[in-house]
Amino acid sequence: MYFKGINSYGDRGLVLDFGNETSKSISQEVNDVFLSISNLNLQSLNIVPSFNKIVVIFENSHIRDQNKDKINIKINETKSQSNKKASKTWKIPACYDEDFALDIKIIQKLHKVSKEEIINLHSSVNYYTYYIGFMPGFPYLGDVPSQLITPRLATPRVKIPARSIGIAKNHTCIYPKVSPGGWNIIGQIPFDIFDLQSSYPSLFLPGDEVKFYSVSLSEFQKIKKHNFSLNKLIKEYSS
Amino acid sequence: MNSIIITRAGTHSTIQDFGRFQYQHLGVSPSGAMDQRIIIELQKIIPNHQNQFIEFAYVGPSIKVKEGSVKICVGGNCNMSIQKNNNSQLECQPYKSINLFEGDELIIHNTIDSVYGYIAFEHGLGLKPCLNSYSTDTKAGIGSINRPLNNEDTFHISKDVSSWDLISIPKPNLEKVTNFKVYPGPQLQYFSDITLQSFISSVFTITNQSDRMGIRLKGESLISSKSHDILSEGILPGSIQVPSDGQPIVLMRDIPCTGGYPKIAILNEVDISRISQLSPETKITFDLQTIY
Repeated sequence: MYFKGINSYGDRGLVLDFGNETSKSISQEVNDVFLSISNLNLQSLNIVPSFNKIVVIFENSHIRDQNKDKINIKINETKSQSNKKASKTWKIPACYDEDFALDIKIIQKLHKVSKEEIINLHSSVNYYTYYIGFMPGFPYLGDVPSQLITPRLATPRVKIPARSIGIAKNHTCIYPKVSPGGWNIIGQIPFDIFDLQSSYPSLFLPGDEVKFYSVSLSEFQKIKKHNFSLNKLIKEYSS
Repeated sequence: MNSIIITRAGTHSTIQDFGRFQYQHLGVSPSGAMDQRIIIELQKIIPNHQNQFIEFAYVGPSIKVKEGSVKICVGGNCNMSIQKNNNSQLECQPYKSINLFEGDELIIHNTIDSVYGYIAFEHGLGLKPCLNSYSTDTKAGIGSINRPLNNEDTFHISKDVSSWDLISIPKPNLEKVTNFKVYPGPQLQYFSDITLQSFISSVFTITNQSDRMGIRLKGESLISSKSHDILSEGILPGSIQVPSDGQPIVLMRDIPCTGGYPKIAILNEVDISRISQLSPETKITFDLQTIY
């Protein structure tokens, strides 16, 4: 187990510490604990998992202190019985057409690989959703195969198209909406992954598995036209 | 039906409430009123505000009653007046309820020696919540209205004013604070004792690069002895983060949900409201609470 302990974060926050390393197995423990304390119905305002920390935010120090023991007890329970498979497995269509693959040449050049190899490599892996952050619904997925690991753009792009697939270092992502950003853009998916009309607005949740599969431009356009709702997407593309 | 129209939007007018919670793990910032003390006060005068407040900064909005009548109250420290339908001008004050009738225009000129002010409307503004909150996060494009207010924005308030009685409260004592007691941040150990000493003994100036996301400070450079690049982790409003130029940023209500800079300290909740009211060039100091 990676859990190290609980520290205070100011007068109304807690940091659940899982060390300073990152790995899929650390994140699995983080996301297991995240799920189990989310189900505790704590009087918390927000519970925010990341690579190796969970920050829990309360209204004030009094409520924080009342809830700290509950979290501690729950973590000890979680240690013994990992709640596997609350998470989903996604198969997501990805179009790597040159109209969308704005930075694929950077990766080709850096790793001396062909476009086809990049597509094959990128769509060969079951990615793990480390956490959601940076902007609403933005999933940090990983790890990409070593032949695709690429630093962020030296100069971030002012406007990345919505639904773009990016690579930065050993992570890959999907931009839920138009945004500035520094990830290398290699493709696009044909639907939105964040829907403000839904009370569960994000398609992906921390802990989900995501695998891309390559689709042609015409197939991409066909799926895009459907304008699937989040619920429909869950039925069609996850298990 | 009663309706109002924004005749001048002001510079940074948005709809806000007490914040949007339970979504930060999906990348959604808490947002909410910068100075929560004021909307707490306004609740006493307009209890049925429906959590739909207009927040303004520096230059306030002008609002005209298009149809019917409304009861409102302004909070904060500001210059304002009412242009009546018959062309006469009326003086008015914050923290006193105001009845506005068809053709009346409330003009909020500016905030005085402060930054943010608020307007509460009896029965709200007829808005629908977005992710359980009315707050606007302009950067993420989230909110009942997902952008700052514009001229010509019109709101329909279906319920009529409950009573014309004028209600007022004594002007709350929201004194100006420039010395802040802060708690150690999660990365306090990233800074040497000498750097921490200069954090608490030197004066920082609020710069004009400050907004709902953060207040950028200028002062002694706080260089980390370890690194200015940490693995991104969840953050709270009020956290004081230090990027590699050593100039601290106090994160405010529209925080990025996770951040990769070390956090030297964090303000308590009420001090987030207090610091939000300090305009650029104000000098501030910090006191570090050693144990918490």
